[in-house]
Amino acid sequence: MAELSFNLLHTLDPRRDAYGFALRPQHTQRYKEYAKIYKEEEGERSDKWKEFLERLAISDQPCSSDEEYKETLQVEATECKVETVLESEESDESSGRKSISDGSKERDLEKEVHHSKETKTHEVQTWAQIRPSLSAIEIMMSSQIRTSKDMIDEQKTISGDHLPSIEEAKSPGGASEEEFDGDIYVNATSDDNANAAGTVTAEVDKVSSKNLFPLKEEVEFLVRGGVPKDLRGEVWQAFVGVKTRRVERYYQNLLAQEASDGEHKEHEDSSGVPKKWKRQIEKDIPRTFPGHPALDDNGRNSLRRLLLAYARHNPSVGYCQAMNFFAGLLLLLMPEENAFWTLVGIIDDYFGGYYTEEMIESQVDQLVFEELMRERFPKLVNHLDYLGVQVAWISGPWFLSIFVNMIPWESVFRVWDVLLFEGNRVMLFRTALALMELYGPALVTTKDAGDAITLLQSLAGSTFDSSQLVLTACMGFLAVTEARLQELRTKHRPAVLVVVEERSKRGRVWKDSKGLASKLYSFKHDPVSLIEEKKSTEGGDSLADEDKSSLNGTTNLDELLNGLSVDSELDSLPDLQEQVVWLKVELCRLLEEKRAAVLRAEELETALMEMVKQDNRRELSARVELLEQELAELKQALADKREQETAMLQVLMRLEQEQRVTEDARISAEQDAAAQRYAVHVLQERYEKALASVAEMEKRVVVAESMLEATLQYESGQSKAHASPRSTRNQDTPTRKTGLLSFGLGWRDRNKGKPTDVKESNLSHSTNEGMDPSSSEKETKNEQKET
Amino acid sequence: MGCSSSLPDRSSGQLAGLNSENGGVSDAKNLRVKLVLLGDSGVGKSCIVLRFVRGQFDPTSKVTVGASFLSQTIALQDSTTVKFEIWDTAGQERYAALAPLYYRGAAVAVVVYDITSPESFAKAQYWVKELQKHGSPDIVMALVGNKADLNEKREVPVQDGIDYAEKNGMFFIETSAKTADNINQLFEEIAKRLPRPASS
Repeated sequence: MAELSFNLLHTLDPRRDAYGFALRPQHTQRYKEYAKIYKEEEGERSDKWKEFLERLAISDQPCSSDEEYKETLQVEATECKVETVLESEESDESSGRKSISDGSKERDLEKEVHHSKETKTHEVQTWAQIRPSLSAIEIMMSSQIRTSKDMIDEQKTISGDHLPSIEEAKSPGGASEEEFDGDIYVNATSDDNANAAGTVTAEVDKVSSKNLFPLKEEVEFLVRGGVPKDLRGEVWQAFVGVKTRRVERYYQNLLAQEASDGEHKEHEDSSGVPKKWKRQIEKDIPRTFPGHPALDDNGRNSLRRLLLAYARHNPSVGYCQAMNFFAGLLLLLMPEENAFWTLVGIIDDYFGGYYTEEMIESQVDQLVFEELMRERFPKLVNHLDYLGVQVAWISGPWFLSIFVNMIPWESVFRVWDVLLFEGNRVMLFRTALALMELYGPALVTTKDAGDAITLLQSLAGSTFDSSQLVLTACMGFLAVTEARLQELRTKHRPAVLVVVEERSKRGRVWKDSKGLASKLYSFKHDPVSLIEEKKSTEGGDSLADEDKSSLNGTTNLDELLNGLSVDSELDSLPDLQEQVVWLKVELCRLLEEKRAAVLRAEELETALMEMVKQDNRRELSARVELLEQELAELKQALADKREQETAMLQVLMRLEQEQRVTEDARISAEQDAAAQRYAVHVLQERYEKALASVAEMEKRVVVAESMLEATLQYESGQSKAHASPRSTRNQDTPTRKTGLLSFGLGWRDRNKGKPTDVKESNLSHSTNEGMDPSSSEKETKNEQKET
Repeated sequence: MGCSSSLPDRSSGQLAGLNSENGGVSDAKNLRVKLVLLGDSGVGKSCIVLRFVRGQFDPTSKVTVGASFLSQTIALQDSTTVKFEIWDTAGQERYAALAPLYYRGAAVAVVVYDITSPESFAKAQYWVKELQKHGSPDIVMALVGNKADLNEKREVPVQDGIDYAEKNGMFFIETSAKTADNINQLFEEIAKRLPRPASS
């Protein structure tokens, strides 16, 4: 397959990833970082799968080994060659067909085949069986399909052959070249098939009885770890049940019809793909993975054929943008016809009603997802509501594109692995929820709608940790099950239907018939069982298509006849006459059925609309009530908030006042402290002056003392000299002098005592002053604390 | 899709957030505008947005599935800024079923057609009618004829566009995302026509 070319290429082009898809410039660096991890993971998982498949092959499939598979492939390759030649004779368009699928070198199994292919360059491989070792998985998965489609199952057990296609091919051959061609195929492979048929029928019992559950669990585990690159295409086919779905030559017939339509254009209105789809497909083909190395001219032709064939196969869908990406993706992994059947499985089954004209189911899913979001992430949704962002704005594109172009490719593949395995849309919801879980915390910080959406888009776009994503999705949201989703879908569907009905009433003529069709389509939860039912009737493929479209009310008699004639030509069964008669009978029956179905459909529609209207009115009024209630609550909340705000403001003002008061107090205290400090200073000075004066006084006292002593000595000397005569006359003076002396002494004593006193008083004073400011500071501090 | 150039507007207080409920205006100087692009498939809606937001043109751009989002802020001469929150919708007819999700509450709708395709012009008229019925009553609508660089292949005369726009009270311009002709003018003209909130 195309892997070959893009494996080579990605080493050359750093702007593309390992799958050949363009990388956004801002992601190249992160991709480089993750490329190593991917490689490691890839190694691990391919070992695991290899081991698993070997075990399966040993235990379950002793007969059909890979050796035989190789042979089968080889044979098919030659068969395909013949086919190309034939087809190139048939129509110009298909002659240009070449293989876009040229075998990966990684596949050891196919290596040989492809070596031989390289020599024959013009070969086409439009259909290939998947390797037998995967058939156990295939059987397990297709048993799921069969349970919903009893008819085909029944037919198989009767015929005892698991391959209806081969049985058809085996039917006794006519003389035409094509039939001859078919014979080669059958002859060459019949031995293998006989073997395979034997083992497989035996195995269906075995698997369904005991092996199913452990096997399924094991596969589930492996799938969550990812499917190895080189197995992915085949494993996906096994999951979707391509082999069970496939009807031999159905695809080729669709293409042939398309080609013949192209030749006579007068039939434009009756059958075939409406012009608008063709034009849309043409517009979209170059816009599908632009620049991808595998989508060269041949690849694009394949893509065109695939989309046209699908549009013809299911007119209720036709072509819807997004399918171009799916088809392109599948073509990268598998041959063209395999891709067709895989696409049929995905769009008809997994995504029934999703891509139809009104896209009802996709709208329903959005409502369901929103409800799940509200349930799981109330805070996030509240925030998004507050920003005015609707969840569906973002999740809508995720769902419609099944994450293609929304998250990195490695993650896309991993999500598809699980989704295709599970066979429903649960993984879609789980992945979206996982993304919300991963990025919700970041989203809550956004401040406006634009930022929120941009952030989510870019975060989702850089979800390179695919294992984390898949594990979060699978393990984190176990409560999201198919049953729960169905329940929610039935709850939300009426609302969507009412809107759709209103739209189609707005005079949109082109929708009339199809509107009804797709409504019925979406209500019928097993539309494919219908197809399968018709497929199982003999005469098969295109009849099934016509039948289904007649049920859908879109075809007319012309188309049916046209289709039949082409069909019978191509099948060229032996008893043409008988066949024609039988077909005519069948046709009458079908026409009757169609009429009945149309009538019934109309009845159903009116009934439905009645129901829907009532239901919706009730729901609407309930919703209005709810909304009103919410509004009241919100208003209440707002009022409360306002009250709180004013209260807060008051508190704030009071606080401010208090603060101002304390500030004032603090300032005055500081001023006091400064004043006191100044006083202390002054006192200190005075004290020093006093000390100085005391010291001087002391000196003077000393001088006075010495003078006093000198005077005393002199006095005593004088009294000795004038003892007798002058004693009476001089009596007065000594007393006066002693009086002076005693005064001097007394003063001296007093002076000596005084300094200490002064000091003490000074000290006590200063300590007092020292204490004062600190205490006042303490006060202010206390006040500040109080504030 | 990550690199929208958004100004750090509205970084102010928490109490200011309450009035920004519906994708419209935030304050007199910094407007936020929800804009939706509608029109037939392949007329170049995504290219116009890419040219306006990133200044790039990719002739092989991808099909838009559902819708995609980008935002861009421009400054006007009167020193107001306008942040466009642009929803680029899918063009195929059936995606019209999802369009209301995106044009509901939009202040601006840009309806695009391809001047080389009369069908796309008819489709544009369908969108104008749809918006008149179901869009916001005061929605600003612009009619854009894109691919003006392909003048030699023109099939929709300029006058037709002008007449239709005039009749429906729309602003009309012909652009080319490829040559960047009139792309910025388109958005500037839209910005001028926006209703301004009463300055506080």
